[in-house]
Parts: sequence; C-alpha cells; structure tokens
Amino acid sequence: MPDQFSMLVYSFLGLPLAALVLFNLFGKRVMTKFYMPVGMGICLVQMLSAIVSLVLLSQYNKDAITFSQFWNYQLYEGASYFSPDTFSFLSLLCIGLVGLVTFLVAYPVLPDRRFQFCNVTLVLLLGMNGIALVYDLFSLYVFMEVTALSAFVLIALYRDAKGLEGSFKYLMMSAIASAFILTGLALIFLNTGSLQYDVVQAYLANWQNGPNPVLTQIGFIMLMSGFSIKAGVAPFHGWLPDAYQSAPAPVSIILGGIVTKMAGVYAIIRLVGEWLPGSSVVNVAFMFLGLLSIVLGAMSAIGSTDFKRVLAFSSISQIGYIVLGISSGSPLGFVGAVFHFFNHSVFKSTLFVNSAAVEMQTKTTLIDKLGGLHKQMPVTGTSNILAFLSTAGIPPLAGFWSKLLIIIAVWQAHGGVVAGVALFASIFTAVYFLMVQRKVFFGPCREEWKDVQEAKFSIRLASVLLSCITVGVGCVFPWILRFLGAQGWI
Amino acid sequence: MVEPGILIMCILVPLLGSFLLPLLGRISAATRNVAALVFVLFSLVASGLMLPGVINGSPMRFYMDLPLGLSIGFLADGLAVFMAMTASLVAAIIVFYSFGYMEHYDNQNEYYLMVVLFIGAMMGLVYSTNLIFIYMFWEISAICCWRLIGFYRTEQVVLRANKAFLITVGGALLMLVGFIAIYIQTGTFDLLELQGRGLDGWILILILFGILSKSATLPLHSWLPDAGVAPSPVTSLLHAAVLVKIGVYVFARLFLLNFQLEVAWQTTIPIIAAVSALVSAGAAIVENDIKRVIAYSTISQLAFILLGLSCGNMIGAAGGLMYILMHSLAKAGLFLCAGIVEHSTHTKDIREMGGLAQRLPITAVAFALCAFSVAGIPPFGGFFAKYLVIAGAYETGYPWLAGVFIIGAVMTVIYLMRVFVKVFFGELTHPDLKEGSWEMIVAVALLGILSLVIGIFINVPSGLINLIVDSIGRW
Repeated sequence: MPDQFSMLVYSFLGLPLAALVLFNLFGKRVMTKFYMPVGMGICLVQMLSAIVSLVLLSQYNKDAITFSQFWNYQLYEGASYFSPDTFSFLSLLCIGLVGLVTFLVAYPVLPDRRFQFCNVTLVLLLGMNGIALVYDLFSLYVFMEVTALSAFVLIALYRDAKGLEGSFKYLMMSAIASAFILTGLALIFLNTGSLQYDVVQAYLANWQNGPNPVLTQIGFIMLMSGFSIKAGVAPFHGWLPDAYQSAPAPVSIILGGIVTKMAGVYAIIRLVGEWLPGSSVVNVAFMFLGLLSIVLGAMSAIGSTDFKRVLAFSSISQIGYIVLGISSGSPLGFVGAVFHFFNHSVFKSTLFVNSAAVEMQTKTTLIDKLGGLHKQMPVTGTSNILAFLSTAGIPPLAGFWSKLLIIIAVWQAHGGVVAGVALFASIFTAVYFLMVQRKVFFGPCREEWKDVQEAKFSIRLASVLLSCITVGVGCVFPWILRFLGAQGWI
Repeated sequence: MVEPGILIMCILVPLLGSFLLPLLGRISAATRNVAALVFVLFSLVASGLMLPGVINGSPMRFYMDLPLGLSIGFLADGLAVFMAMTASLVAAIIVFYSFGYMEHYDNQNEYYLMVVLFIGAMMGLVYSTNLIFIYMFWEISAICCWRLIGFYRTEQVVLRANKAFLITVGGALLMLVGFIAIYIQTGTFDLLELQGRGLDGWILILILFGILSKSATLPLHSWLPDAGVAPSPVTSLLHAAVLVKIGVYVFARLFLLNFQLEVAWQTTIPIIAAVSALVSAGAAIVENDIKRVIAYSTISQLAFILLGLSCGNMIGAAGGLMYILMHSLAKAGLFLCAGIVEHSTHTKDIREMGGLAQRLPITAVAFALCAFSVAGIPPFGGFFAKYLVIAGAYETGYPWLAGVFIIGAVMTVIYLMRVFVKVFFGELTHPDLKEGSWEMIVAVALLGILSLVIGIFINVPSGLINLIVDSIGRW
C-alpha cells in the first residue's frame, strides 16, 4: 500500500483542527461568510477520504492502517497510535455524512450563531473522528470526553432554560458514565499494564487466569455500564429524550444521527462484538438490554406528543437492535449491527432534518398542534415516509436488510422467541410512524398552517440526499450481500 | 433455458416506470395516464408471451445466487403466469376506468404512481421464488395500499388507511418470523429448494397470519370493509381484484406447489374459511352501504377460494384457482359499478337509491352480469369456479362442509339481489342523473361481458389451470 495513503488518514484530524485555527485566527468579521461552507467542505472531504480508504483497504486486503501523528509509535512501548479498520472508516463515513447534513440544515436555521455553532461542531467532529481512529481505550475515553463536552455546549447553544436543562441532564449522566468508564479502565489497566486494543482483547480472552479475575470482572461491568449510559440503552436512557428534544434543530440531527452512537455504541461494538464474541454471560446481558430498549423505546415513542421526542425514543429502540445484533456474538450479527449502525445514522438524520424543517416553518414540534403539512411540504413529507418505513424495517429500504441480518443472527444465537419478539416489535415502530405521519403531514390542513412554505433549499437538499441513500442502499443490497459473502464476513 | 429478459422486464417496467409518472404528469395529464396504462398493459402482454414456455414445459427462469440462503429468483411457471395475467388484465381495465373517475381529484400523480407501483409489486410477488423477496413485494404492496386507501387525506380516511396498514403489516411480520424459522431449519429461503418439505405446525400458523390478514379472512378481516372509504377504482383494485388475492396466491404457491400441508390442516383451514364465509355473508345481508356490502361479499368469496385451495384435492385446487380469475373480474366490475353509482348520486346508502336502471342502463346491466357471475349462475364464469370448489369440499369426506358453503352461496345470491333490486329497480330517486364518463362505462361493460364470455369459453382458462394442477406432483 502506498505511503501517501496515510496522508488521507491525517485529514480526519488535521482538517477540523486547521479549520478551527483559521476560524479563530481571522475572527468573526472576516470569516462569517465562510463558516458553513468550510464546515460542509470538511465533511465532504471526510466522506470522500473514508470511501477511498475503504476501497483501498479492500484492494490491498489489509485489516487496518496503522500510523501515529506525532511520534514513531514503534520506538516506545505502550505509546498510543491510530489504527483505523473497516468499521472505523464506515463510522468516519457516517460522521462525515451526518456532519454535512447538519451544516446544510444549520445554514438557514442558525443565522445568528454561526460562529459558536461552527467552532463547537468542528470540535465535536474532531472528537468523534478521534474515537473512530484510536487504538487504545484511554485515548478512546479522551476523545469521548471531547465529544461529550462539545455536545453539552451545543445543546445549550441558546442558553435558554430548556436547552440548559437538557444539557445539564446529559452532563450529569455523562459524568457518571465517565466515572464508571475511568474506574473500569483503571481496574483493567491494573491487570494488563496497557490499554491497547490487542492487549486488552488478548487479556479478556483469558481473564479467569489473570491475576485479579474479580477486579477484572468489576472493571468490565463498570466499563459496560458507562458505555451503555452514553449509548442511551434502556434502562440507562433517561437523559436521552430530554437532550434530543431540547437541543436546537441542527444539533439534534448530529446528536441523534451520530454522537450517541459514536460515544457509546461504537465502544460496545468494539468490546462486545469484536473482543468477547464467545462470552455467553455478556451476550445474554446485552440481549436483555437490547430487547428492553427495543420494546421500551418503541412504547415510549407511541406515548410521546413531541415530534423530536418520538424520534429520540425511536433512537433508543433502534439502538436496541444494534445491541441485540452484537449480543448474538456471531460474525453475521456483527455485520448486521454495523450495517444497522450506518442505516440508523442515515434514516434518523433524515427524520431529524424533517423535524427541523417542520420546526423552522411552524415554530413548533408538538404533533397535536400540527396537521396537514404534506400538501405544503411534499418533499419533507415524502422523505419522512421513506425514513420511517426504513426505521420500521419495511423492504426494500435499507433498514429492512440490516434488521433481517440481525434477526437471523439473533435467532441462531438466542432462539426463536427472542428473534420473534424483536421482529414483531417493528409493528410498534409502524404504530408511532403512522401516528406522526397522520398528525403532522396528513389529515386536514389547519387554518394556521395554510400559508406554510416548503423548507429552505438546503434543508430539502439534505433530506433528499439522505432519502436517496436509504432507497439506494436498500435496492443495491443484494450486491452488497454478495460482496460481504465474497469477503467471507457472513 | 430461455433468455429471461422478458420476465425481468415484466416486473421492472411497472415497478420503475411508476416513478416516471409524476414527472410525466408535469408535462400533461393525458401523457401520464396513457403511460400508466401502457406500463400495466406491458405486464399483461409480457406475461402472455411467457405462456408458450409454460405450455411447452420449459418455463422462463432467472436466478442469481446470494449468501445466507437468499437468491434473486424469478420463475414464470403456470401459476405465476396465470396470476400475473389475471391481475394485470383487471388492473389495466381499472386504470382505464380511473381516467374518467379520478379526473377531478387532487394528487393524481401520486394516485397513478401508487397504482402502477402496486402492479409492479404484484408482478414481482407472483414471479418470485424466494421467500424474502415475496415478503419484500408483499410489503411494497402494503405501502401502496396504505397511500391509496388514505387518498382523500381526511382524518377518518387516514385512520382507516392506518388500520389496514397495521393489520396487514402485523400479519406480514408474523409471516416473516415464519419464513426465518424455515430458514433456520433448512438453511435456505429458496422455494425451489424447499419443494416437497413438510412444515411445523407453529410455522404454518405464523404464515397463515400473514395470508389471512392480507386476504381479509376472519378474524383478520376488519380492515377491508373500512377501507371502502378509498376512491372506487382503488377499492376495486385492492379489495376485489388484486391485493386480497395476494394472500390466496401465496397460499397456493406455498402449500399447493411447495410445502406439504398436513392432513389436520386440510380440515382446520376449511373450517376457518367456512366461518369466514358465513359471518361475512350475514354482514353483507344487513349492511346498507353499497361498498360495504360488496366488501363483505369479497371476504365471503375469498373464503371459497381458501376452501378450494386448502381442501387437498385436485378438483378443489382447480376450483380455487379458477375462482381467483372469475372473482377478480366480476368483483372488480361490481366495485366499479358501485363507483359509478356513488359518483352520480353522491351517496353510498342503498336505502336512498332506487330506480337507477332508468338513468344508468349500461351500469345496471354490467352490475347484473357481474353479480350473476359472483353469485354463481350458469353459464357465467363464477358458476364453474363455485361448482368445482364445492365439489372439492365434498371430496374431502366432509359433506357437511360442502353444505355450509352451499348455504354461503345462497346467501351470496340473496345479498347481491337485494342490492341490485334496491339500487336499480323501484321508484326513481335521482331523476336528474347521468351515466358516468365513457371510460367508466366501457370499463364496467368490458368486465361484465368478460365474466359472461369467459364462462362460455371456459376451456381456455381451464386448460391453463389443468397444467398448474397437474404440476402438483403429489395427487
């Protein structure tokens, strides 16, 4: 593989950093016009580099690209370095995509806060990119904190009571999670002397014979609880709906689309899916967490009266599917979970983009107040249908295929009852989808919404782009399956 | 193997073409309408072109292997071609009728998109040989059905569309659980590899949930009468001619041609069908809404089809298949006639109508022809189908089952005649009525005449049906 290739990987961290410096060097006056375009540009470049990296990885048949930014990691033992693999690049692609969409929506929605928004969002992107790139648990933790901190600031961007409340809840829960994660890391470090992925993986494969099995166990449980809180898996999900609902519209997109997944689910996929696939105790625990999230999330979504809150609960439910897929412990379940990770980024971002469009045009997201918007907002309404159908796992949309893989894997691992319940729970997704669609977009048009306009061009562009991905990936999925089969991943 | 291009085109032309229709609609309404009709007719012609292959015993086949026991497989065997031709023929007539009926409504682009997409999904479903793809097309049809029932967008209409969607999707999800169970047991979703296997009872029950919900059979039937709020061509297309036939088609595909149905089920399913037939026929007798009467009648007639297909002998199977054809034609005609009546009188309550035959003579005749066929009066097509089904039920060794269905048939005559007499005879209630537009008249007349002609030339469809039934190896 050519050396120049690693330059590509530098861009994931270098570009946001450079842009941050530029923004603040020249100050508000000069740069105001450039914030959003630069942000979009960075995200586009990130998507392109991620795609190129994925192609190169499969071309050269390599598992990962190992490099370090500032020092030669081979000289010092235990030095941290980056080693992104296929899953990392897929995450980076999702981050770029959701970031792009966020900037597209923020452009018309936040005309007055561009300076703050762009700066913090770039830090957020930096943090998430770091999570995807690193190769040791401590750096993972550091980037997780970078991500979380910038998310707190973004949620409270307007410093209003609602935003501060949501942000505070997130901050509190996240702090508890951090304490758990840090303690857990310390306990594992006690036994391994290093937190690099391969060392921890090798240790966890044989932890009973390690020096302190009890401490390892406690450490691992704390680590998993911390990640579960960050991922918003039920029953650790209390903060999530408030944070999503109270955040400004573009911020909810990036939160719901990617942040909680990078900050929590990513680590769960790494730890449980990659390192402990054979552990039946962990798998059963996550199976229950997943099922609980699926059912509880969907039920709560049915009972919600706010568009964004419905979407937040729906996220919990969908993350339940990802966790459930991971809990199967098989390669198929892993692929299904990663694929659902991608799909969920796409369709949940679409839904949040649409909620942003509705919020911008009507100044409310309460579904009982809305009604009959489909006629005025046909693009938003239609893309909403597609995204919801994908969420509910209706073929031929992308969400169906990932769910199918997960369900098959779960059936093989945990039996038909669990798989059947998880699959049939999709009907609850259909229920809240129909409820939202009926109250917001169909039905008679209310007097006060007679003059509502379709959303601004860039918002429409965002939702059309995402809908095309949902439909497109769903339609070419048979070929993706062939590719996966040829690679021997399923 | 013959080059399967025509088979792929037959599915893809309506499936992808439907998305062109909104664009064409921006150019002109007429272009879009004609294009919609052309796409549907294309499927009809393409299916017809595949008939020689079926008769020669070398059906067209397309196959692409995928991991996980999946495959993209299409096979144009007798059953598929028969079903595809029935569906696309009736659909083409209904699309033609829509030209007149839908002229004055908003959202016509969406209407034609959904109708043609629905036909595309139907084509995909009948030709698929893979359970997952059958499920996929099944759900596409559910989405189209949901948008079409909710076409008028008022609160109540949308609620009923949602009801239909939830019941059919709920059933389909249970069916999918059953399909995955089959995969776990056998390692494949491919029907051709599953040929001749037995099936566990619980899997069969899960699949039956899907079939019964789609084919609106008791106890999962309640969405169908409610869905009558849709425009009449939609009701006709979905609830009479095509959508509800998906369930019985999949039943035929799975349990006639692929899986062995255990003997116990050959009694249980007919009993479900018998209950469904009688209860819904009773409901049809007391209803006063013309579309609800016909909708209940559909539920009742579907029970006949299910009986024929499940009673486990050749006569019944042939009868069930023939019933699909006859019922599609005649019931589509009845719904379309009801549409003309509703269009002209602006009411659906038969107590407020009377003597309409004086003002709507062609509609009245067409209604009568279709009603005779549904009621099973010789020499109309419906008679042969009904005769075969009841004869098949008798063959099972349970003569009382045949008796129950004869009662059902008598009730059919009663409620159809009641509607006909109330609406078309008696004192004229709406003196200033006019016939529907010429497209509508031609469509209903065509369906009425076809119901009669196909009965006279019964050897044409029965030849094909014999081929299908012969291909069921086990009898």
